[in-house]
Amino acid sequence: MQFTHSRLRGFGASALFLISACSGVVGEGDGNGNSSGGGSNGGGSSGTGPIDGLADPDALLKSAQCKQPNPGAAPMRRLSNAEYGNVVGDLLKLPADASRIANAFLQETESLGFRNQAELLAVQSVVADQYMKAAEEMSAKVATNAAQLVNCAGLAASACGAKFIGDFGTRAFRRPLTTAEKTRYQASFDKAVASFDLSAGIEWTVNAMLQSPNFLYRPEFGDGKPSSYEMASRLSFLFWQSMPDEELFAAAAADKLQTPAQVRAQAERLLTDPRSDRSIEFYRQWLDTDKLPGLKRDAKVFPNLPSDMTTLFAKETDAFARDLVFGGEGTFEALMAAPYTYVNDALAKHYGIPGTFGPEFKRVPTDFSAGVLTQAGYLTVHDKPTRTSIVLRGVKLRTDVMCQLVPAPPNDVSLNLEALGGDLTQKERLALHRKDAACASCHELIDPLGLSFENFDAVGRVRANDEFGRPIDVSSEISLSTDVDGAVNGPRDIGTRFAKSDQIRDCYVTQNFRFFFGRDFNDDDNCSLARISKAFRDSGYNLKSMLLAMTEADTFLYHGLAQ
Amino acid sequence: MKRLHRRTVLRGAGGVALALPFLDAMRPNKALAQNAPPRRVMFVFKANGNEHATRFKTAGVTDYELGEFLEPLEPYRKEMLLLNGIDKFHGKVPGLERADAHQQGGAGLAPWKSGSGSFPIGGVDRTIGYVEGPSADFVLGERVLAANPTVKHRHLVYRVGGFGNNIWNVHSHGGPVGKQNPITPEVDPFKAYARIFSFKPLDPAAELALRRQFEKRKSGIDLVRDDGKSLKARLGSADQRKLEQHLQSIADIERSLQQPGAGAVGAGCKPVTQGATFDAVNDKNHAMAGALFFKLSAMAFACDLTRVVNFAWGGNTNGRVYDNLGIAEGHHDISHNSDAAAFAKIRTINRYLWTQSIKLHEELKAIPEGDGTVWDNTLVVHWNELGQGDKHSTDNDLVILTGGAQKHFQMGRLLEIAKKSSFSDMLVSVFHYMGFTDLTTFGDPRMGTNKPVPGLTA
Repeated sequence: MQFTHSRLRGFGASALFLISACSGVVGEGDGNGNSSGGGSNGGGSSGTGPIDGLADPDALLKSAQCKQPNPGAAPMRRLSNAEYGNVVGDLLKLPADASRIANAFLQETESLGFRNQAELLAVQSVVADQYMKAAEEMSAKVATNAAQLVNCAGLAASACGAKFIGDFGTRAFRRPLTTAEKTRYQASFDKAVASFDLSAGIEWTVNAMLQSPNFLYRPEFGDGKPSSYEMASRLSFLFWQSMPDEELFAAAAADKLQTPAQVRAQAERLLTDPRSDRSIEFYRQWLDTDKLPGLKRDAKVFPNLPSDMTTLFAKETDAFARDLVFGGEGTFEALMAAPYTYVNDALAKHYGIPGTFGPEFKRVPTDFSAGVLTQAGYLTVHDKPTRTSIVLRGVKLRTDVMCQLVPAPPNDVSLNLEALGGDLTQKERLALHRKDAACASCHELIDPLGLSFENFDAVGRVRANDEFGRPIDVSSEISLSTDVDGAVNGPRDIGTRFAKSDQIRDCYVTQNFRFFFGRDFNDDDNCSLARISKAFRDSGYNLKSMLLAMTEADTFLYHGLAQ
Repeated sequence: MKRLHRRTVLRGAGGVALALPFLDAMRPNKALAQNAPPRRVMFVFKANGNEHATRFKTAGVTDYELGEFLEPLEPYRKEMLLLNGIDKFHGKVPGLERADAHQQGGAGLAPWKSGSGSFPIGGVDRTIGYVEGPSADFVLGERVLAANPTVKHRHLVYRVGGFGNNIWNVHSHGGPVGKQNPITPEVDPFKAYARIFSFKPLDPAAELALRRQFEKRKSGIDLVRDDGKSLKARLGSADQRKLEQHLQSIADIERSLQQPGAGAVGAGCKPVTQGATFDAVNDKNHAMAGALFFKLSAMAFACDLTRVVNFAWGGNTNGRVYDNLGIAEGHHDISHNSDAAAFAKIRTINRYLWTQSIKLHEELKAIPEGDGTVWDNTLVVHWNELGQGDKHSTDNDLVILTGGAQKHFQMGRLLEIAKKSSFSDMLVSVFHYMGFTDLTTFGDPRMGTNKPVPGLTA
């Protein structure tokens, strides 16, 4: 059944028109305009096509299309670096070493802003080498205290090996080992003991298991439905970005992760565990605060910045997200428009907020905050060394918060803004620039959004005047959206409007889908998206409820066809 | 120091001889060094284009005068071949099949159409993706490995700057054709050195520890390979491809642990003096990181660890702030402006990067090999994602070939290509230089004339 009044389908059509206009292509592009990703690499385009699952979730869920489970694709996922650090830390009980090692890994290949997308996380030679070195280091370390991993009192070496391989192997591979696997690892264990000593047996086993594809990926063989062990991992990786705990393993061993109720009960338990904090990695990658370490500012323009400014910014958003989802209001409205932020003494001083906060981050009401939209890390990571960037801030909002496509500048068109007048402000230059038809159609998508945040400088502080000393006017007008068009006056006005927008809420759902399921959505995911979207709405747009609802989606409860 | 004893050589599962790690297995072998040195190629990338009009003060095949930003190259006049006006032929590929000029231009070594799905800024009705095919460094390396069992690494992929791996920041791709498969560059020269070089004096007292470490590594590799094979058999085809690549990576590691055979390890193969350590991904160490990558690339050639290196001074659209040159704005931002002041800065940055890049030449010349130096047997391809930044042009590039390159090319000339040959044609010329003359096209055939650039060879 097709829903022709899809909210984002409607938008898709206008985007198509715009793109044609601004890239000088006559006609309507390739005309297919669908988001059938699946393609070779995560596929799907970012909000350019219909997202039927979000259009009218109630009707879709009642339709024939959603009567049968449709799990969509399930590409095998490699551990992201963050997951590797969490898993090795949990498995070996050496969290500090594990995160040090994972933080030094080469960064994962990025796709649609996320670094955990299954299609692009491969194990190339250099990556295999880094896993090998990490496994060698960690296995040597745990072997010095093997008693912590296995109790072999009264056992002969070979029997000790069998016990260790069985117990540790189940936790490392997140499922019981096959007979063939046990035989292989036993042979290696016995050889290590014969050549060296018992601790070598432990060391070799840990070393190989930490490099095994069974450990580094999350392979699934469920036929239509994940096995209970596979479900245990789906749950733990979604909420904890890590391996299952003892209770999940016990449920898996008893095959009690099969019904939606069983899954739901575990999901609720996991969400109350402190490890669920790790899911805020989503906000870092969505809002780009994970890119803050490369930030550079011109000392002449911005003297006396705190030396750890980017760390402070990252922690501000972390603290906000953590409290919002797991402690505070927990609403989408607060995410977009909360009139407060989080500071410690150093950041409060930077912002000019009076009061004493100590070294930890504490919530503080402000007259300038609009949820994450005005947080310094998110804004400034899209700025320039000497000034704000109306364009890049606008592009970020239009693409990753509004889920619309922004075309690239056409080739062989002069990109020269400075030539429009050296003494003009950025706002004035952009206004002139939009008089050029070749630029206008695309920049209408971008500039009005960026302009609204001009009252924040390129180091995240509120300001009244721009780089030229002229008063800032944040009044603007949004167009080309589905439901946030119209005049706006500054960030809080935008945040409040976004908080009530179906387009922005739908975008949030799809971004979560991408991050937590490690892939882009496609047409097969309509019912999954509808399920999540409906639960989100029914909860009053509660962020934690939406996370929970992800475990009720077909793509989570069922297993897609192998590709 | 003592040579590796026979008994420390163990047999791998495939019957392949493996050397204990960390030993001086790369010590030159006098008998082997009699072999003629092999040919190598190194690609050196700069971002954001330069300035068409000021590349040369005066034209002329041999009596040209270098422009301001190319002046650092003057000492190499007789050892370089300047190809002005190379066209990447992007115009011959429909807009729907390519990304924007920065991405497509920066993927010059992999001249394939672009996929979608990775970046929400796009061309026509779609997001941008990575290019869908392998880069020249990867394919050249594959061919070198196939023809030379003793070469240990397919290629080395290095980038200065640690800012993520997205469609702008990767220049090497593993293919196959039709697949997006970007290759993550190494960004820390110290780690890169430790990964491939294993010079260490053999201390007999440490032999047991080394042996223990080696046997552990070997057992790990064997188990991982076996696990991978059994897992692969249970997966769908897309996931099987992923496992296939993983298994290849394991084989790559095994290959790198092999005993040196009748390779081309010459007398110049020695440990690199790395100097004091520094944070290689900290932007203030940009030049030092580049210089160290050059040092170890040159030595990797001398030790015949690889014959292909892909090096990049940052990613495409590189926004580095050259405050060391008194420039406050980012390189990419400046490159989009057309005024005189902006071009002056572009020339300054390019000149600076040339002064840094020629350090590679000096490293290659410093290592003796046969009757000359490694430089005599190496080709360096200096390239850029764009011709000129303010127009995003990719149809008027400047490619500069340097090095002795075993006199394959007739150096000492400036050739006006006038868009008659493409960047991928130039890559075909490189394949021919490396001995792979069967190849007449590389990449999407629409992006080339499907023959080498005429008139380059001696």
